[in-house]
Amino acid sequence: MLSEFFSLTVLTGIAYSGIRLATPYLFAALGEMFAQRSGVVNLGVEGIMLVGAFTGFAVATWTSNLWLALFCAAVVGIIMGLAMSYISVNMQAEQGISGIGMHLFGLGLSSLLFKKWLGSTKAITGFQPIKIPILGDIPIIGEIFFNHNILVYIAFLLVPIAAWVLNKTTFGLKIRAVGVKPEAADSLGVSVARIRYSCVTFGGMMAGIAGAALPLALINLFQENMTSGIGFIAVALVYFGGWSPTGVMLGALLFSLVNALQLWIQVLDKDKVIPSDFALMLPYIMTIAVLAFGKRTNQPAALTKPFERGSH
Amino acid sequence: MMRMKNITKRFPGVLANDKVNFDVKAGEIHALLGENGAGKSTLMRQLCGFYRPDGGEIQIDGKTVQFKSPADSINIGIGMIHQHFMLVPTLTVAENVALGLPSSRGMQLDLDVVSKKIERLAQRYGLKIHPDAYIWQLSVGEQQRVEIMKALYRGAALLALDEPTAVLTPQEVDELFKVLRGMAADGHALIFISHKLHEIIDISHRVTVMRDGAVVATHPTAGSTKTQLAREMVGREVILQYDKTDYNPGDAMLRIEDLTVMGDRGQKAVNDASLIVRAGEIFGIAGVSGNGQRELAEALTGLRPVQSGRVFVSGQELTNATPGQRIAAGQSAIPEERMREGVVKDFSVSENLILQDHDKAPYSKGIFLNFAEVAKESKRLINEFRVKTPSPETPIKNLSGGNIQKVIMAREINRKPRVLICAQPTRGVDIGASEYIHQRLLEQRSAGTATLLISEDLDELLALSDRIAVMFDGQIMAILDRNKATIEKLGLLMAGVK
Amino acid sequence: MSKINRRKFLTIAGTLSAGAALTACAAPAPTAAPAAPAGGAAKPAAKQFKVAMVCPSAVTDAAFSQSMFDAIKAVQKDMGGESGLLLKYSDNVFQVPNAAAAIRDYAGQGFDLVIAHGTQYGNSLQEIAKDFPNVAFAWGTATDNFESKGLKNVFAYNPKAEEGGYVLGVLAAKITKSNVVGVCGPVEAGDAKTFVDGFKKGVTDTNKAAKVNVTYTGNFSDVSLMAAAAETHTKAGADVLTGSSQSVVGAIGIAKDKKIVWFGTQSDQAGLAPDTVGASQVYDWSGIVKEMINMINSGKKGAVSFETTLKNGGLKIAYNDKVNIPADAKAAAAAAAKDIADGKLKALP
Repeated sequence: MLSEFFSLTVLTGIAYSGIRLATPYLFAALGEMFAQRSGVVNLGVEGIMLVGAFTGFAVATWTSNLWLALFCAAVVGIIMGLAMSYISVNMQAEQGISGIGMHLFGLGLSSLLFKKWLGSTKAITGFQPIKIPILGDIPIIGEIFFNHNILVYIAFLLVPIAAWVLNKTTFGLKIRAVGVKPEAADSLGVSVARIRYSCVTFGGMMAGIAGAALPLALINLFQENMTSGIGFIAVALVYFGGWSPTGVMLGALLFSLVNALQLWIQVLDKDKVIPSDFALMLPYIMTIAVLAFGKRTNQPAALTKPFERGSH
Repeated sequence: MMRMKNITKRFPGVLANDKVNFDVKAGEIHALLGENGAGKSTLMRQLCGFYRPDGGEIQIDGKTVQFKSPADSINIGIGMIHQHFMLVPTLTVAENVALGLPSSRGMQLDLDVVSKKIERLAQRYGLKIHPDAYIWQLSVGEQQRVEIMKALYRGAALLALDEPTAVLTPQEVDELFKVLRGMAADGHALIFISHKLHEIIDISHRVTVMRDGAVVATHPTAGSTKTQLAREMVGREVILQYDKTDYNPGDAMLRIEDLTVMGDRGQKAVNDASLIVRAGEIFGIAGVSGNGQRELAEALTGLRPVQSGRVFVSGQELTNATPGQRIAAGQSAIPEERMREGVVKDFSVSENLILQDHDKAPYSKGIFLNFAEVAKESKRLINEFRVKTPSPETPIKNLSGGNIQKVIMAREINRKPRVLICAQPTRGVDIGASEYIHQRLLEQRSAGTATLLISEDLDELLALSDRIAVMFDGQIMAILDRNKATIEKLGLLMAGVK
Repeated sequence: MSKINRRKFLTIAGTLSAGAALTACAAPAPTAAPAAPAGGAAKPAAKQFKVAMVCPSAVTDAAFSQSMFDAIKAVQKDMGGESGLLLKYSDNVFQVPNAAAAIRDYAGQGFDLVIAHGTQYGNSLQEIAKDFPNVAFAWGTATDNFESKGLKNVFAYNPKAEEGGYVLGVLAAKITKSNVVGVCGPVEAGDAKTFVDGFKKGVTDTNKAAKVNVTYTGNFSDVSLMAAAAETHTKAGADVLTGSSQSVVGAIGIAKDKKIVWFGTQSDQAGLAPDTVGASQVYDWSGIVKEMINMINSGKKGAVSFETTLKNGGLKIAYNDKVNIPADAKAAAAAAAKDIADGKLKALP
């Protein structure tokens, strides 16, 4: 089994699947990272993803236009992100509870609309892999990195873009300030509410896209409650990644690589030397290990704390 | 250049500003004096757009203005240095300065340009600032310079400083004053809020005294005396010099032998320190902030482990004892971080008063609290220590710093300690409360308590101590008798010069 | 202060209840399922028979929950629509405590038969059935009707999923060209496990050279992990896939993408991907549902364990004409099915 495991096919297979699987996590976690950097935890990512997944799938079923489907999912994500912003910024609600409310809302809405409008599901043809010229022809490397569908490329391109926005722009500076010490930003005339609205809404849009990526780029089908925890894992990945885009990406990759790895172990381990339950524990063991040994020094100090002028 | 006319501001149940008139001219340093709660900060918060006045108006260069938000105030050229700094600790100096300002490169930050301008301004006003340093790396004094830089960078013509010296060492105060004088000479208008009388006399051209939300007096500073200002501020005669009973030291109650304590960064924060505090003595520890005083106090109160050396309280070894064992041995402590280590913020005044003795008579019967006795005792202590609180049930976090300190004093002194570890007892506390706290410490001295007084306020140390040790870089530089300790001598030792 | 608290409270309550309300709409608890118009074929029963169902996933899952839902709907049609049989259901109730609450609610509302469609509901059902001796309950997939525990009002039903699994395995062995077949299992237990074991035996009995790779996701609902598992199988060379549970939609999507054949189980999955699903083992519970209704009408409320097999028609192999399966493969499959039905062939190793 071991010699088989270290074959080129298996290793490239693991790397390829890991990258592909990381896509929805990456979209959702990058968006959530912006929300959290501005001081808002949006636990409703899962709910927004579900509505995004339904919207993407429904529009793709009706129009066969994948880009329109993605766009609609993003718009729905924006609307739900705005709602979450209103709840956490204007209403100053307890973010944990309102996030769970948002999850239930998304779960209920996506299931209801699915039963009402589609009823049954039929596979669509999602985004197909695009081989990048030249790079895609490099042996192994090309196969692992440059033969994915467009959403995978977009997700990974967003990492440096997010880092740039966060660290190199005036807007990013405001986000970083608002998440740590909103009163300081406010005293310099930065609108805390506007920054948090932008970030949470952006997070909502990304969650919508992450949700749509499931039927449009990974699975080709829709099922009620199909996210089954991806949104929550995405929230955890933000902590895991230390609130930095690269960290979030590494977290998403690690999680999905270990998942890909354990599936391969199962495939190759014909005699079931390793029980499937043990292989399945791997991603979680890894996650706990990294969380236990990682540091949380970068947590935005004002995370989950509503801001009201003069209350500090 | 700026005039506030008949400013009135109400909060639920409080008239914070009652028809206040206040003005400041270009090139002038105008001091605003008053005890905590006199309405100084409220007045300033209206000037910088945090609150809107309920009545009256603000004029800039003769024109009435209205501030809807801090941005409006900034744009008109008003800068405010808050008592609690408005700095983002995770950002660099340059980033804090650039926050909220448009960049010369559109969306993209231009921190290199910002840094250059910071360096230029720093040179001009003698502010020592490193643009790339992170705020969390800076001392309090350095952070304050960043705050001033933020205002200067934004071209503030008027700068209001809320209690800027409360957190500074004497050296840093001198440096700050140099900068402020330079700014005034440069044509800036400065408002200097304080309750430290000698500083006001030292720095300001004019002084306005506030009490209970209203202006009591406005007059030129030249010719004013401390006694006069203190009377205006408190509304009665204030004792600035204490009568001390004779120095009759008794047995060694607190003995520290070759104590070494590690700091947060793994350095030797306290290095081989030895001292003895006797009954009936106040032993002062002077030093610039960050030279091991905090770690020393933490080691003595059981909050930080001792690396080597030994500590005895009335003969009993308590080197790495728990806080409970120390209390049992007759040691009390007034901690430096009073909100964090001195009280439980969300508990009521009376709960905080019985915090450490709640499981002993008379506060408890078996496992139950004796509420009647708790209420009686806390009422007595509140009266005796003149704690200003709406009721014993008020959460302590709603009290002023001075009153919180009185609650801690009441609790710690009520236990009739033999050894009292007292760190920065009057930092951020107004003059009336300071005076009261000082007198209680002297009472303890007369009663035979051995007090270790750690302070960065040299006036306080000189007024109270019988002997003064100076700490520098974790070491005790020297122990001086009070009559041999002069400000100059202490200042040199604090700078590490023997 | 108090104003803010109230406002916060209202906001939270509002979001939560909006979410809950929608969940409730989507998963009617209880909501009448739309009934087919009363047909002329079957005679309406004298009295309306009331059935309630609680299931872990959506009744549109193209798998486990849908198989029971479709069966009851079929019986409803035979009984003259809603006037003959009233169906109320709660779907997506994966959490056992929530399911237990729903089962208890239905039992208290005077339903004639309450179907707890999920193995995990067993313990709760045993408690509830004790409290409602006049209500008949059904539990599956399971073999224990709790008669040994003194209960006379619980039916149990269990599919011999290995039988269809074996037959589909024969088909897979016949059509694979790479001689690698992938199985996407959910949890190594219950009918999923017996299906997988039967399938494996079917493949290896038929084609000694064929390899069967099996993965489990540890989960009945993780669609994307199931998709990843399918993808892993294709990377490992599989050109025929099968799998069990509602989460296989993920795997079917991948099979369609890779243009390879999928064999389904539980429900007819051809509708999900008409050019991909070669055949499905269909759980047809309608016979059992009818039998239970007859028994209840004649006074017997439980203490019977049903088993669906290829022989009794509770399991069916449904081919999808849109996918070309060679005649010899079909013939081999039919032979295997007959041998199993006749007891000449054991589907399990």
